Parts: sequence; structure tokens; C-alpha cells
Amino acid sequence: MTTQALLAQLYCTTLALQATVLRSAPVILGINFGQSFASIAVIDKEGHAACIANEDGERQIACAVSYVEDQVYIGNGAKPQLVKNGHNTIMGFRNLLGHTYDEVDHTAILAAPLIAESKIPAYTVDIMVPPPAAPTPVSRSAAPSGYATPIPAEPTAAKKTLTAPEVTTLFLQTLFTSATDFVGTKPTHCVISAPTWFTPAQTQALRDAATAAGINVIQVLDECAAVLVGYRAGMPEERKERGLLGQPEEGTAGEAEARDKKVVVLDMGETSLAVSVISVADGEYTVLNKGRDDKLGGREFDNLLIKHFAKEFTKKTKVALELPCSESASAADKRAEAKLRLAIDHTKRSLSASAGPATCAVESLKDGYDLSTSINRIRFDSLAGTVYRQVDARLREYVEGAGLELAQIDEILLAGSSTLLPGLQQHLSFLVPPTTPITAALDPSEVIAVGCALQALHLANLDSKLKVDDVLALAANPLPTTAAPIGVVIPGATDDLLAAKVIEVGAPLPARRRVSFPVAGGVTALEIWEGKDEIKVEKVEKTESEKAAAAEDEDEYSDDEDEEIRTSVSVKTTRLGAVEVDVAEGKNLVLEIIVQRNGQVSVAAWAEGAEDKVDSFEV
Amino acid sequence: MATVVALPLTIPAAPAGYTKAAASGKPTAPVERQVYPAGPSYISYARRELLQLSFEEDDKATSSARAAAAALKLANAEEVLFPGLGEEQEHKDLLAADPKEWKKQDHYGVLGLGDLRYTATDDHIKVAHRRKVLRHHPDKKVDHDDGFFKCIQKAHETLTHKDRRRQFDSVDWNIADDVPNPKTVAADKYCEVYAPIFAREGRFSNIQPVAQFGDDASSKKEVEGFYDFWYNFDSWRSFEWHDKEANEGADSRDEKRFTEKKNKAERTRLKKEDNTRVRELVDSVLANDPRIKRIKDEEKAARLAKKKGGAAPAAKKLSPAEIKKAAEEKRKAEEEAKKAEAAANTASKADREAAKKAKEAARKNLKKWKKAVATVIAASNYFQADGAAPSPAVIEKQLAELDALVELAEPEDVKTLKEEVEKAGNGEPAKAVIKAKVAALGDKAAGKFTEFA
Repeated sequence: MTTQALLAQLYCTTLALQATVLRSAPVILGINFGQSFASIAVIDKEGHAACIANEDGERQIACAVSYVEDQVYIGNGAKPQLVKNGHNTIMGFRNLLGHTYDEVDHTAILAAPLIAESKIPAYTVDIMVPPPAAPTPVSRSAAPSGYATPIPAEPTAAKKTLTAPEVTTLFLQTLFTSATDFVGTKPTHCVISAPTWFTPAQTQALRDAATAAGINVIQVLDECAAVLVGYRAGMPEERKERGLLGQPEEGTAGEAEARDKKVVVLDMGETSLAVSVISVADGEYTVLNKGRDDKLGGREFDNLLIKHFAKEFTKKTKVALELPCSESASAADKRAEAKLRLAIDHTKRSLSASAGPATCAVESLKDGYDLSTSINRIRFDSLAGTVYRQVDARLREYVEGAGLELAQIDEILLAGSSTLLPGLQQHLSFLVPPTTPITAALDPSEVIAVGCALQALHLANLDSKLKVDDVLALAANPLPTTAAPIGVVIPGATDDLLAAKVIEVGAPLPARRRVSFPVAGGVTALEIWEGKDEIKVEKVEKTESEKAAAAEDEDEYSDDEDEEIRTSVSVKTTRLGAVEVDVAEGKNLVLEIIVQRNGQVSVAAWAEGAEDKVDSFEV
Repeated sequence: MATVVALPLTIPAAPAGYTKAAASGKPTAPVERQVYPAGPSYISYARRELLQLSFEEDDKATSSARAAAAALKLANAEEVLFPGLGEEQEHKDLLAADPKEWKKQDHYGVLGLGDLRYTATDDHIKVAHRRKVLRHHPDKKVDHDDGFFKCIQKAHETLTHKDRRRQFDSVDWNIADDVPNPKTVAADKYCEVYAPIFAREGRFSNIQPVAQFGDDASSKKEVEGFYDFWYNFDSWRSFEWHDKEANEGADSRDEKRFTEKKNKAERTRLKKEDNTRVRELVDSVLANDPRIKRIKDEEKAARLAKKKGGAAPAAKKLSPAEIKKAAEEKRKAEEEAKKAEAAANTASKADREAAKKAKEAARKNLKKWKKAVATVIAASNYFQADGAAPSPAVIEKQLAELDALVELAEPEDVKTLKEEVEKAGNGEPAKAVIKAKVAALGDKAAGKFTEFA
């Protein structure tokens, strides 16, 4: 081999080495891009996903862009501009992606209105264009006497038209810059969240906008999926290690978690509520039902608070103030609303964080009068009761849509900053059995970003034989999943229930589960049955003493009705077969069930440590 | 591996006389549902689907991949960077060092890099600093004494800042700078003694890598390259370290400026001194380099060998320029040999002496004859057309060529040239005579003449 060839080979090896170094250290970024707020998460040095603050120290970054003369404010700095400069402040642009002007609602009360001329939703804002640079800057001393110092050219007023995708690109760019500043290098792998109800066209529009911002988007992830990944649903060991398990009022779910379970993801953000009923099958997430309410969000709480405070203001100062105001309201009212909206942000946070009364103070709310007041939790919960009940109704509606009852839900995962309200969490806990945890172990306002970052990490560390696009394309269409649970029945049992469920409804196929049982010893038999999830209703008769106590209370609720206890059970329907294994005492029986893509079930059982003596059958 | 989930359900022994019951029906057909492409379990699912692996095959693949990853991790964990670095026990004098006297502190010694000094890499410094800090942090001391810790921090601060490190390296008093007198060094030890000295001096070079001193067998080219490098030595050595601080509490700007000016002057002086030192070192080493003598001897021997028609030295692979040069040298040597032979054959010793005398006489007259020819050329208006003034370039060239001609030709030839030129008279005939002389020179004149070609 000649020296040159050798050198060339060496060079190639170096390049390959560099490439592997690059491959082994991907820089991860997860973006939660909401309608009202966004957040970003990265993988830190220890390998944990963490939500990071932007350069202003904000973890929740408002999706707002404001043009003030020749300045552009993006994020939380843009929100105060609503007060004086509302028509140049753009908000709520995410949901417009992939839509035409005619398809969207275009009533804007405070922020910049959409313009009717263009097909793609667009805004027009007033800006100041800086003057062209002076041709030759003449220093003062050099100017010959007698000449006036040239007047610096004034910036000129102009109009700027921005489409919704352009605003999105601008906004995502700032998020990306914040992450780059935090990490030190440009993130290479990014997953960005999109609402559950985004159409493929909208998803594509979001992807395009992100790509235009220079972000390498490897996946546009459903917000609900991001929540599941963020909480590591279906991965009990990891959840336990990180302290992510929900803490129910009763039962053992706080220590362990079933690998197969049904969960509800309740995502209540600033503007909308999304409910998804998910079957978590050994870490795979199958959608049983999902839905949303785009009118139900943190904004509802805001409106209630504003109304409450406005009333109180009117009562105290005798200045008429009707909030929230309509489109035709006076400018003073609108400005008052904008000011109050900014102020109650803090009030809501205080309500979520501490049990004491939360204050709200606005200087010169209207006609020069200040507002300074407070509200405590009980008062707020009674105000917000209607919203809680609406959430509850939606939750029931979508759970029932999946053919289930709330009693059959094993866990409720919370996401979105509005679910931080303790009143809401408490309200939800009354709906489900006390053994069902309402989980907010990760900060619900950060969980989506964290989930996106984790997902990006998983995809970045993909097997070298696989391509990300191929992996994601597999789930583009619905996949076959189990239609009924499969479980075991102990021969000779008298009831008609499955003694234990091995595979849940909704497990993507092919699926395999291995379970082990302690045995009494000797020849042990197990029957494998298909089952059906049902609700068992038990009426608990009150004891005499309880009745007496209730009568003394003379409370509305404690009438003589017996309490109903609804529990989830699985009734056996079809026998698939049986296995029989001789197990020595002290050993466990291991049972493996595999359901193939076409629904074929193969079962094998053996005694622990004796893998060669297998009893099996196929159906 | 598939996770085995332990279920809290104890199974009793099968009832007596139990027979396995047959299936009572087919399992329900699967239902198609949307699955989120998210989470590690989905990725495992996708891997099985895309690579067409069964559960068993996938188990094997993942367990082997995991084992490989674990082995790699273990291997990485075991590899300790620079074992032992910065972990030695410090001398008690070093531990008692005063952090305020940092200008006199041996920063490498404090970090335990005394052996590496200027060769220490950034990684060495980082690792050594970390290990030192772990041992000498005031929190680990009973009396929270932070004297040595401050020394460590100062050393780290100095050595991690590129400029500060160079300033310190420039004046590092722990590196010996003595040079033995080249005259006293034995020829066979010469390279052994001076190679490390030049390697040491080379640490200040802006151009890296530094030319190697080489060994006794170095070729002419290598040796010349080495001395070329050192005569054009570009050093970053600077003497800011010796700067004197302005007096404590000297608010006066004048005083500060004065100190600054003095420092600058001192730096320049030291720098100049250092440059002189290096040049003198190179001068004296070159003057006494046995290799130069050896190379000269070799060349002489080669010439002699060629003269004697001996076999050419073993063919070396040479560049085209070298081949050309060698061919020219060979030809010259042959010519000289021929001439010498002819002279030896024809002339007796007396003749040769007479000829020698004549030659010497001729040489004395050379200048005269040349001047005469030049006068003729000038009188012929440098062979330009009538009325046209000769350009200075042409004049210079013609005179230069005349010099060359006189040099190349034998003194007798020059004499005849002068006589013939004077006889031919001014103008073209004179030029024709000069041209004829040039042509008579033959190969020797090839390419050297344009005006008289």
C-alpha cells in the first residue's frame, strides 16, 4: 500500500471516529408548544430530562409576539403589551396552523386581529423601520463651522404582515435559541408536541414552521403521548426509581404499578381541555377514546376571577366595570381587562401553591382607582365549581365513550398548568375509587416538554439498523390490538371471574406476557380464559350506628340511601385451554402467553428453573 | 429479556382427578386501534416488526446488545485517566508556601506536574487540579487552613489561562538553561548533548513542530534545514512575569505610567537578550558541528571518487533537481579530470610552471583587458541603432555578460578577445567577435548569455 493510500485510509478512519463521537452524543430538545404557553426541556448531564428556563428565567413561556415600534418582544415580555399595544400583539396563533382564514374563529378582543385579505391567517402590525444608515458619518469636530449638525434620520412608520406560520417560526426560533444558550450547542434532535386533535395538514404545517426555524424535528408528538412518556407510564421500575408513581388515598398503587392498565390523560391548559383514555400495555400506548373541549381551560377560571374581582371593584369604588368585556366594550374597559388578566396570573399561582388567601392588586384599574383584594381557596373553589363540574362531565363522557366506567380507570395522569389547582385535583379524586391515583408527580405544566425530550432521546438512541421515519410510519395507521382481556382461572374455582388478568384489552399485537405464580406444590393446573371487563355493584348497608350519626347531622347528603361500591371485575367468557405442570415446592410456576397478529394465542407454562419441561398449547 | 411479572396469587395443587379441559371457543378477533408511536416499548415493537424478529430472536439480540453496552461501560469506568497524577505527597515546604508569594511559586510543582512542566496538557492540568482540590480543600482540614488550597487555585488559574501559562513558562526557573561549550564537547557525543538542548529551546517556538537536531548520520539537507529553522527562530517567549507592580496605593497616574514604561523597557531588553542568546547558541553549535565537517568531507570524497572514475555511490532516490545537480557536478568533474590529464600528458613540470606564471600575469591584466573591451562596447553605443539611447537595463546586462565571459574564459582568451575587438573596431564587427568568443566557450556558456548569444 502506498503512503498516500495509507494516509487516505487513516483520514477516513478519523472521520468515521468523529462521526461515531457525534452519533454517541446527540443534543436533545423537547418542545411543548401550546396554544397559550410553551416550555422546553433538555437532557442534562446526568441523562435526566429537565424542563429549563429561558433567559428571562421563565419555564412557562407565553406564546405571544409583540411589535413595539422597532422592537419585537417574544414570550412573557410580550404579554404586558396587551394593555397599551394590544393591536400589535399576536397571540393564539398555534391553532391557526394549517387552516385557512375562513376556517378559524376571528374574534380578537385584546390581541391583534386577523386580517381578512389573505387566505392563510395573517396579522398586520405597526412597526417602525429604522432609517437607512447615513452614508458617511461625519464627526462633529470635522464639520466645518457654519454647517448645522445633520439631524439623525427618524425611523419611519410601516406596516408588517405576518402569517400564522411565520409567527410560529419566529416564536420557535426564540425557544430554540434559549435551548442553544442553555446547552451550549445547537440541539440536534428535537421532538415538538402537537395537540391530540391536530389533523395531518396541521401537523405538517407545524413541522414546516419548525424546520423553517432551523430545528431538526424528528417527530411531531401527540401531547397525550408526551404526557405518557413523561410519566413513564407502563414502566413501573423506572417510575418507582424516580418517584413518579401516583399516591392514591388507599391501596398499594403507590409502591408498584401494573404493567397493563387503563389510564386517563387529562390535559387542561390555558385554553382547552383534552381527555384521552389510554390502554397502557406493557409501555405501549393504545388509544381507547379521546376528545377535547376547546372552550374549557384555564381561561374559564380567569374569567370567573375577573368577573369576581370586577364586581368587588364596582362594589368598593362605585365605578361600573363589567368584565370580561365584549368586543364592543370601551377602550378603558378593555385596558382594565388586560391589566386584570395579567394580575390574576399571579393570583392563580398563589392559589395553586399555598393554602392561604391569594392577593390581587392592580394599580389604576379604571378611572384611576386601584384594586387591592384577596381571595381564599374555598371562595375560589365555590366560584370554580361550575368549571370543575364541566371537566368532570367531559371526563365521564369520554371514558364512557371508550365503553368504560370511571371505576375501571387505574390512574389519572394530569397535564397542563390548570390541573395544578388543588380544588380540581380534589374534585377528581371524589370521582374515582380511592385506590386510583390522581398523578401529578411531575409538574403538570412541564410534563409534556419532558416527555418530548425523553421521546427525542429514545429516538436518537435508536438501533443503527432502524430509521426514525420507518419506526414512526408503523403507527400511522391503526394497529391490531387485543379485543378482550386474557387471564387465568384456577380449576375448581366456584366464581365466574378471572383469578388474574395477564393481557389487557388494547395490547398491540403481537403481544407477549410472562407471569409467575407461587404454587402450593405438586401437579398444578391453570385454565386460560378470555374474559370481559365488567362493573360489580355492591350495596353496602349502613350500620345502625352510622345511620344514627347521619340522622343527627341532618345533612342533605346523609339520607338513608345505601352506599354503592362499584368495582372493576373481569368475567370469564371463553375457555382457551389449560396447562398442567409439576412444580416442586418453593418454586414458581411461569406462564407465558403470546397473542399473534392474527389473534392466535399460544400458551406455555413451566416450573421455574425447569425451562425444558414445557406444557403448551395454541388456539 | 421478557420481564416476568410476579402475581400475588398462590395456586393450589390441581384437584384430584383433574383433566385438562379443551377450548370452549376461539379467541375474539383483534380490533384495530390507534397506537401512539412513543415510548421505549413502542420502539421495541417497531424493531421487532421492521427487522422481522420473533420475541425469542429479539430477546437474544437485545440481551447481547445490552451485554456489549455494559462491557463497554465497565471498560470505560475502569480506565482511570492519568493514574497517580497529582496524588503524590507534597513536601512540607511546598505545603507551607505563602499564597501571596505566587510570583515565586512553582505552579507545576503545586499541582504535582513537576515532571511534566511545559509538556503538561490541559487534561493533565484539569485532572491534577481536581485531585489536589479533593485532598486539600479547607473543608477537609481540621483547622480549615486554606493556604495551600489558595496556592492550588492560583496555579490552576495561571496554567489554564493560555497567556498566563506562557508568561510563566517563559521564565520557568525550574528548567535548566545551561548549555555546554561546543568546543569542549566530543564529536561523537555532539548530537546526544545538543538534541535535548534544542528540543528544550524549541518549546518557545511559534512554529510547531520544531526542526529536529537529528543524529550523526543526518543528511546535508536535514542539517541545513535544522540550522535554517534556528536562524529564523520565531519565539513567543516573553518576560511579563518579571514586571514590577506599581507601588501599593499609588494612585498617581504618572507613577503607574512610569512603572509601566520601565516594565516595558525591561521586557524589551530581556527579549532582545534572549534572542541574542539563542542566535549565539546556534552560531557556536553550528561552528563546531562535526556533521558539517563530515558532510564537507563526504562531498570532497565523492568528488575525488568521481575523479578517479570510481563507481558512483549507491544510487539514492533523488528529486529531479538533485539528479540535475548531480549530473552537472559529474560533468564538471569529468571535464576537469580530462584537462588535468591532458596537461599532465603534454607539458613537463617546467612548462607547467611557466604556464602558471603566464596565467598569473594574464590574471593581473584581466581587468585592464576587460576595461578595454567595455570601452569598445561603450563606444559602439552598446550595439544599439544609431541615435537610439541604450536603456540602463541593456547596458547593465551587456556589462554583466562581459564579466561572465571574462570569468569563464581563460586569461589568454581574454587577451586575444581584447586584441581582436580593438582590431575589428567599433560597431557590429566588435559584437561579432564577442559573440564568436561566447560560442567558443561551448557548454560552459549555455544559457548564460542573451545579448552576446
